[in-house]
Amino acid sequence: MKNNKTKLTPEEHRLFGDLMPEELEDVLHSGFNRRHFVKLMGLATAGLLASYALGAEQLFARAVEMEDIPNLIPEAIENGVTVNFKVNSTPRNVLVDSRMTLLDTLRERIGLTGSKKGCDHGQCGACTVIVDGHRVLSCLTLAATCQGKSVITIEGLAKDNELNPMQAAFLKHDGFQCGFCTPGQICSAVALMKEAKEGQASFATKKLSTDPKSIILSEEEIAERMSGNICRCGAYPNIVAAIKEAQTGKNVPQNWLFTD
Amino acid sequence: MEDSNKSIGKGINRIDGILKITGKATYATDYPAKNMAYAVLFKSTIAAGKIKSIESTEAQKYPGVIKIITHENILPLNTKGGLRGGALLQSPEVTFHGQHIGIVVAETFEQATAAAHLITVEYNQKEEKIDFDNLAKTPEMPKGKELADLVRGAGKSALADAEVKIEASYETPIEHHHPMEPHATVAVWEGDQLTLYNGSQIINGAQTAAAATLNIKPEQVRIISPFIGGGFGSKGGQWANLVLTAVAAKMVGRPVKLALTRQQMFNSVGLRQRNIQQLSIGATKEGKLLTLAHETISHTAVDSEYIEPCGDCTKVMYEVPNSLISYRVVPMNLILPTYTRGPGKSTGSFALESAMDELAYTLKMDPIELRIKNEPAKDTSNGKPWSSRTTVKCLQEGAKAFGWAKRKPEPGTNKIGDDLIGYGVACGTYPARQRDSSAVIKLSLKNKVVYATIEIAASDLGTGTNTILAQTAADGLGLPVKQINVKLGDSDLPPAAGSVGSVGASSFANAVNDACIKITDELLAKSGKQFFVRPTAAQLMISEYIADFQTRSDSKAPAEAEKYSAHSFNANFAEVRVNSVTGMVKVTRFLAVTGAGKILNPKTARSQIIGGIVWGIGMALTEESIIDPRYGNFATRSFADYHVPTNLDIGDLDAMFINEKDFIPNKMGVKGIGEVGIVGVAAAVANAVFNATGKRVRSLPITPDKLL
Amino acid sequence: MKPFKFSAVNNPAEAITLINKNTDAAFLGGGTNLLDLMKEHVALPNEIIDIGNLSLKEIKATASGISLGALAKNTETANHPLIRKNFPVLSKAILAGASAQIRNMATNGGNLLQRTRCSYFYDIAMPCNKRNPGSGCAALEGFNRMHAIFGWTRDCVAVYPSDMAIALSALNASVKVLSSERERIIPFRDFHILPGAHPEKDNSLQHGELITAIEVPKNDFAEHSAYVKIRDRNSYAFALVSVAAGLTLNGNTIQTASIAMGGVAHKPWRALNAEAYLKDKAATAANFAKAAEAEMALAQPLAHNKFKIEMGKKALINALETAFKGNI
Repeated sequence: MKNNKTKLTPEEHRLFGDLMPEELEDVLHSGFNRRHFVKLMGLATAGLLASYALGAEQLFARAVEMEDIPNLIPEAIENGVTVNFKVNSTPRNVLVDSRMTLLDTLRERIGLTGSKKGCDHGQCGACTVIVDGHRVLSCLTLAATCQGKSVITIEGLAKDNELNPMQAAFLKHDGFQCGFCTPGQICSAVALMKEAKEGQASFATKKLSTDPKSIILSEEEIAERMSGNICRCGAYPNIVAAIKEAQTGKNVPQNWLFTD
Repeated sequence: MEDSNKSIGKGINRIDGILKITGKATYATDYPAKNMAYAVLFKSTIAAGKIKSIESTEAQKYPGVIKIITHENILPLNTKGGLRGGALLQSPEVTFHGQHIGIVVAETFEQATAAAHLITVEYNQKEEKIDFDNLAKTPEMPKGKELADLVRGAGKSALADAEVKIEASYETPIEHHHPMEPHATVAVWEGDQLTLYNGSQIINGAQTAAAATLNIKPEQVRIISPFIGGGFGSKGGQWANLVLTAVAAKMVGRPVKLALTRQQMFNSVGLRQRNIQQLSIGATKEGKLLTLAHETISHTAVDSEYIEPCGDCTKVMYEVPNSLISYRVVPMNLILPTYTRGPGKSTGSFALESAMDELAYTLKMDPIELRIKNEPAKDTSNGKPWSSRTTVKCLQEGAKAFGWAKRKPEPGTNKIGDDLIGYGVACGTYPARQRDSSAVIKLSLKNKVVYATIEIAASDLGTGTNTILAQTAADGLGLPVKQINVKLGDSDLPPAAGSVGSVGASSFANAVNDACIKITDELLAKSGKQFFVRPTAAQLMISEYIADFQTRSDSKAPAEAEKYSAHSFNANFAEVRVNSVTGMVKVTRFLAVTGAGKILNPKTARSQIIGGIVWGIGMALTEESIIDPRYGNFATRSFADYHVPTNLDIGDLDAMFINEKDFIPNKMGVKGIGEVGIVGVAAAVANAVFNATGKRVRSLPITPDKLL
Repeated sequence: MKPFKFSAVNNPAEAITLINKNTDAAFLGGGTNLLDLMKEHVALPNEIIDIGNLSLKEIKATASGISLGALAKNTETANHPLIRKNFPVLSKAILAGASAQIRNMATNGGNLLQRTRCSYFYDIAMPCNKRNPGSGCAALEGFNRMHAIFGWTRDCVAVYPSDMAIALSALNASVKVLSSERERIIPFRDFHILPGAHPEKDNSLQHGELITAIEVPKNDFAEHSAYVKIRDRNSYAFALVSVAAGLTLNGNTIQTASIAMGGVAHKPWRALNAEAYLKDKAATAANFAKAAEAEMALAQPLAHNKFKIEMGKKALINALETAFKGNI
């Protein structure tokens, strides 16, 4: 798909060289794709990331290279609509069933499974992606309506191999447990930064009848504005702390207490 | 914390966190497969009866449809293979509303879903048993022996002699686990070998149940479950959808993906049953308990029994000479209830600890003092000594840290503007156990660096298992965490206990720790040398130039543990604000103090405790599933109707741990925190609501209408 | 979802021409409710006309007040400086509804067309006259805690779920509608309807009509307005009861009160009795209480929602007090 070769960092190079030497050439030649990724995860689960901490962090921050979207057999698509849009800055062209949501298009057709289906009815926020700069629910968006739009998913938040500061803050503050709602939480939080900058109000805003101006969000404001993202593990206080730290750039302390 | 060279006890970031924050953690439906077909389930619209006919002609003809599977054409399955909740399409019988009655397999999810809507079903309907309010008047004895009436001393009859009595009934509604990841499976057959990508809290349990149900050997089934999008008990025992996916894949000869919809989650994967709990407490005027009776009525499925043990906390919490714990049950046409976070203890402690609060108010005594006054010297339920007990410490340290002294005992007197402020306290407990688990450690030496791979068929459903096992191995082998590779979530790995009942951390960490000791011993033996100071496995690998070395340990709980009663304990402190206009409650502050033995990673441990508090707040304030008894189905069947707490529902939550050194239950002194974290939370909130408003709400959840 | 033909249109005339050809076609705006209903097979259009590209997105001051483009997003509307300044109760009500993501998607026109959240309406296994006329109302004697206390019939006890529309009702808005024949303005009180003989209908919009804008007249109570919402959790939940109120004051005397309630009826419930009571009265706690009494005296609760009477009173009083204090 892409013909520009991937420049791996030395750490990433070591990781591939050690774990998947047989794929190293392919990765260097055609990029880190979904097949490589799945194979890597099959070789070693979470611990891999510890052993190759820096390489893994860089590697996983990267968007997996987009592959060509395989065509479905003709019977599999009714009322086909061809959609041209950008996904994580890459132009995509996909023929979809008119019923297909953006969420299912990302997950089942394009292979970007980061966005999650938690309820499929706009009641949990796990599918949150950023479309033309706004956080929206991909489960309530028909792919057919995305013609000409630009979609950013969790896979596209990092800059090359550097995590988005919001991602790093979530990691530091343990803003998740099972991780299933996390892509939606983080997309939501990233878009929230822009909303705060624009001075958008929320139901928690004390004085609405003033002109919008850039705001530093209080904990209550963060909580209200993130309430469209349900976290069943209950990581809410950690999510608030992560967002606070990402917004202010100042260290937010983590508290666990011990007593004899 | 203590030894700066040690990894255990440090709040390091999750080692798998990077995958979760980049969207690269692979949950069941994230696995691609070539030529995947998509399946959806369709469900009964009656609660009891028999399917007369299924009309699927239109659906068969629908574009993209590959196969429609019903009881008429499904492959035979073993209905006693160990899956929970029935619904395996083996007969036309319907025993609950929303029972699976068929599968549509199609080229796409859209087509399978659309085709399923074209199917019409006719039933011979029977009268359903579903109206709990009525049925609960004539309940039955449970079948389970462990649920027989437990009477000590004079039992409930001692109540007659008590100077002070509390008699009250507490109700908790049906709750649903609702992990964010709906239950889902990708099934891939290669010849006779089946791979199931499926979130599983008990990897080996899922494997054996799937194999037995499919009438094949366990070694023909591989469960892959490196990440689980939450479980909370609902992914402990597995449900029909797991095997139905496998059958569909077999019958169409292609990999199949089947995910439950959120609506289907209400009647597919268990629930926390509704309970009516009658508490009777007799005490002296000085607050010494004389009798304590805890009588629970709950419901189960018509063909299978599960009852959450609401009286468990009551068995062990207080010194009381006379007691009764009893259960009665109503079989209903409803999906089988199942383990739900803090099973029995969370709901049971709501009743017990609310009643204790009522007693404290009746006695005009501080509720902390009342509890300390009735602290038991040993486990009254079995006479065993405690391995250690931290209740008093939790209460005292918590009171200090929380500022309990600021509480105004008189209800309704602490007011700021429209808000009424209240403080509440409640205790909890959960047993600490270690279950059989095996672990393999593989060491390798590359360029003078030792790497370790830990293999264990454990699971990590967000609890931090990956991370604590890496920390355990790091200390056990003398390596930094970054040289440890943890492999779990795969039934091909050495068998392990499940991530259920707070046994995960103790079982897995002890297995890994034992394997570390064993591999070091074996390397020492291999070296044939004597050392003044015992070297680490890592040092031996280097000094003896060993390229590869591995061992396996099969670990069990210490025999000595049986002689003691081992529990985690906690004390929960809640501050609520109740808006006197709207009746809306906000938990503004909450502190849980927990004695759970060794805390392996305070960062992930704190998260788990906080998660338990959020669950408890949901139980106290927002969560309720309601059945319409006329139809037998849920009238609350979406996230718009079933209110999981949102971010704004949660205030400042704090977790404090007691530095407890209790090595009786297991060598590492790990007691488990996943379950105890929710126990006592709902009661602390309800007690705080009483302190704020003077209203004693005995029926959860405490929604605004109950505080008008 | 049932299969449907999809087309995107570029101007209102094109949209109307298309929809007039097919009585089973539906316009798609933000889709936050329509897609939800299509997935449940409650809404079964066989053709979707995507109006997302139409240029009905402008929010602009007019001689008489402000005009809200039908396709302007809820977020944009709530945050528009003119609305925050002159119609803050509208901002507040919009921000009380749904989640940030949904408000980023939902359009103003679509918000008015939200269908009830009655769980029996959503569950196609259940009888429901709104979904399937003549099949009966399962909520009437079922689980009706969330349901109506005003204006219901035995055929339908559902409530209308929007927060935004409650404020628009109190603001005396009107709905501008275009069809192939004409453009018409529907006063807000006539836009949503009570269930009457046709519970399947939520409003007076005809097939073939397209909402182009919502017109909100100027008011002189911007500072003295309030939106109070009582719900089962602190955010992201539909109202048990909500109240939008605006007080036109002369010193401490109420010249006029504009009050609408949500969560109590099949449409935004204009609290006419409370308004009538308050006219030319002093803004006192006692008068607020009497006005609330006057309104709620007419309520007819169902088996599970008697609490809404007391809750409604408290919400009314609180909204009036908050509006009087004037610090929105």
